[in-house]
Amino acid sequence: MPAKKAKASTKTSRKSKKHSKSAPSSNTKSSSKIKHVLFNQYAYMVYSAFAILFISYVVYLDVQIREKMSGRIWSLPSHVYARPLELYQDKVLSIEDLSKELTHLNYHKTNTRPSQAGEYRILNGSHIELIARDFTFWDGKQKSQGVRLSIYNNKVGKIHELYSDKSISLLRLEPAKIAGIYPAKKEERQIIKLSEVPDDLVVALLAVEDRRFYQHWGLDPRAIARAFLANIMAGQTVQGGSTLTQQLVKNLFLSPDRTLVRKINEAIMSLLIEFHYDKAVILEAYINEVYLGQSGSKQIHGFELASQFYFAKHLKQLRRDQMALLVGLVKGPSWYEPRKHTDRAKERRNQVLQLMFEQEIISEVQLNKYSQLSLGLTNKPSFSKNRFPALVDLVKRQLQQDYNEDDLKSAGLRIFTSIDPIVQSKVEASVRRILPRLERDKNASSELQASVIVASSQQGEIKAMVSDRNPDFPGFNRSLDAVRQVGSLIKPAIYLSALQQPRKYTLATLLDDTPLHIKTAKDQTWSPQNYDKEFKGQVSLLQALNTSRNVPTVRLGLELGLADIADTLHNLGVVRDIPTYPSMTLGAFSLSPLDVANMYQTFAASGFHVPLKVIREVHNKDGKPLKRYPLESEKTLNEQSVYLVNHVLHEVTQTGTAKSLKRNIPHDLAGKTGTTDDLRDSWFAGFSDESLAVVWIGRDDNTNTGLTGSSGALSVWTNVMQQLDISSFSRQPPPGIENHWVDAQSGGLSEKYCQGAVELPFISGSAPIEKVECKSGGILNQLRRLFN
Amino acid sequence: MQIWRYIKSTQALVQLTGQSIKLSVLALAMSLLLSCAQLNLGLPGSHDGVLPVADNHHMPQAIKDLLGQADQQFLQGEYNASLATLERALRIKPRYPEVWSRMAQVYLYQGKFPQTRQHAERSNSFIKNNADLKYFNDKLIQTAREGIQP
Repeated sequence: MPAKKAKASTKTSRKSKKHSKSAPSSNTKSSSKIKHVLFNQYAYMVYSAFAILFISYVVYLDVQIREKMSGRIWSLPSHVYARPLELYQDKVLSIEDLSKELTHLNYHKTNTRPSQAGEYRILNGSHIELIARDFTFWDGKQKSQGVRLSIYNNKVGKIHELYSDKSISLLRLEPAKIAGIYPAKKEERQIIKLSEVPDDLVVALLAVEDRRFYQHWGLDPRAIARAFLANIMAGQTVQGGSTLTQQLVKNLFLSPDRTLVRKINEAIMSLLIEFHYDKAVILEAYINEVYLGQSGSKQIHGFELASQFYFAKHLKQLRRDQMALLVGLVKGPSWYEPRKHTDRAKERRNQVLQLMFEQEIISEVQLNKYSQLSLGLTNKPSFSKNRFPALVDLVKRQLQQDYNEDDLKSAGLRIFTSIDPIVQSKVEASVRRILPRLERDKNASSELQASVIVASSQQGEIKAMVSDRNPDFPGFNRSLDAVRQVGSLIKPAIYLSALQQPRKYTLATLLDDTPLHIKTAKDQTWSPQNYDKEFKGQVSLLQALNTSRNVPTVRLGLELGLADIADTLHNLGVVRDIPTYPSMTLGAFSLSPLDVANMYQTFAASGFHVPLKVIREVHNKDGKPLKRYPLESEKTLNEQSVYLVNHVLHEVTQTGTAKSLKRNIPHDLAGKTGTTDDLRDSWFAGFSDESLAVVWIGRDDNTNTGLTGSSGALSVWTNVMQQLDISSFSRQPPPGIENHWVDAQSGGLSEKYCQGAVELPFISGSAPIEKVECKSGGILNQLRRLFN
Repeated sequence: MQIWRYIKSTQALVQLTGQSIKLSVLALAMSLLLSCAQLNLGLPGSHDGVLPVADNHHMPQAIKDLLGQADQQFLQGEYNASLATLERALRIKPRYPEVWSRMAQVYLYQGKFPQTRQHAERSNSFIKNNADLKYFNDKLIQTAREGIQP
């Protein structure tokens, strides 16, 4: 102020000199007085304007502070979780898969008996001891629990408590975090309450960063003076005089530049924040905000997350030397980056330990002991990388129906899914292995692309999904967006439409397999061909589907009516519009692999349509349940007719277009191949009792792949299913099904073991009445009949 | 209503005593329920909460425990938690009709009739040999069709 006044008075005198030259001298005094008064008024106005501006500015800063501090202080990324692994007796699981799961969960492998949550050890390659961490699930908080179990021949044995013989029927591990949905600035943090922060850490933090935290009002002139002196002595910036409050303000509101304006803002805002909030709120905010490391493109903020990032432990579980390291990192997380600059970080940790000793947090003996310890870091945890991009994309799309983009990125939602990392890694490995092999051995085209979807048959939960031959590549999501012709995959829908009229059609009904010419709308003729370019005269409905014959299918489809087939497809769960032109009966329309999976799920669940889903539950940032995505299951089709189609789809895997499965997988399976014109698309959709899988192989430019459904997609499907825990799909007939022996050639009733006779299921009352003469057959059949 | 109170009190007993007693109480409750049904007392109308588990000896312990947990949640009115627990059981063994039937019952108490019908029908589709459960499911389907919430 005095300086400004002085300046102002010089100006005045200069001005008065100027005036004195042109004005009469008698008036000089009075006019200068007036001018002086005027000037004072003018200056007063300027000061007032300044003051108003300044006050407005302070108010503006104040609003900023209160808005941020009272609302959601931070943008919290939402996280996507895998399914929790459930351990129970007889569960099929290998030691390797369990170890992998534990690694993804950042469990620490020890050589001694685990002593705290998040540790495990393996004994003799078959016994596992572990302490599961606590976790808040949909149904409440599950406490940490120690267990021991053995795994023999890939099967879990009895599970016991770690320190007793008490048996445990079921243990649910916490789910692995597989991805984050981030705001533009990729900040990771986990909020912790001040009451949960260990006291020692708080004392150490204040000792190092701000000793007079509880005395100052946001600024600490003594610390500033001390830092100023130290910096002058050193000739460079060696010490900062910032209080915790100033650091918090800088991190929350300001850019990192070292300008005077920023410093002034920082000082004003620090005073304001101290004025509004008590020390505990400021300290808690600081502990959650402070930047403590970098994981790829993601910034690690807050002590809780840093504790997990460096030590795979909660903050409250840390030893004091580990706390000391974290406190030391505040000064410069990249300079002291402990995984890169171990010695530097250790030196810094020991400095902090020394301060902790001075503050009497640790004794001299402890100081010496801790200073000798290694840093005790774990490997970089897997959350640094987003895994399973195709699945996470699906999760986001399903969430966007219920949440807006901003909430997804900043509300800290916890999204629980059915994604099974063990199944997913097997599917990824299959795609990586089989595609190059197809290109090499089967002379298939290069640059093949693939999509694989695996879901649970009965509940329709998606477990795994790959949308690129390089499954880590987050590009075009073929499973959802590659809408391609389906070819023969549509045939079961046509035969199902027929079998829903049991009086007219049974599996034994004979269909015409003779040349067919259809007039199309443009006065042209369409003459569908069979794959083998032959016509068999007459074939049973079963054989026509089993061997995927085109001509009888087109004829049947036209007889049934194309609109009826479209209805059946919708009842099977296909939501897209279905065209009603004749060639649709051969699958000359397009669906995505996910559409196909939805359609075949209804076969797998015996006529109950369960829309495929990947999200189970969504919690808010505090672990409170927001929304559940329950199992929906609607009976859209008659169970008996679906049973008949499934009977044929099983036959396909025994004697039909997918008969290689009988050789390769020792279970009853059901499925259908699909191949489109010019071998552009190779499909296989099929299921066991537990798992449904759909595979598509094709090229992005929609040209010839050189593969049929059975030479291409089926190879991947087989390889995937061989690695999964599957059992035969249930062939138990629903009520209202009866079996009869019929003559395959004529479709008439026959007897057991007659030549050419096959046993077929029929919907009650629909079996043929007309009997045919029993052809004696070979001597073996005659003997069988005799002894039957 | 007397019966309802009786079942409630037996449930309280279940909480106090162990699993073995619980199973016998379940069986008792089941027979009571069925007698209810036969006497036309409006079977799912009472807040009984325990379904027929006639031959649960074949069930793995994990499933039995989850069913017990789902029952507790159901009795405490935590219907969504109960459904979540039952879905957990289905992920381990998807073909137990008892689990599907329990889900149908919880949906009935929520007044979600289409889901009640769907899950009871699904339960029926998995029944191999359990006439009591079939009877119970059909009763649930009928009640759901009539739109009567307990």
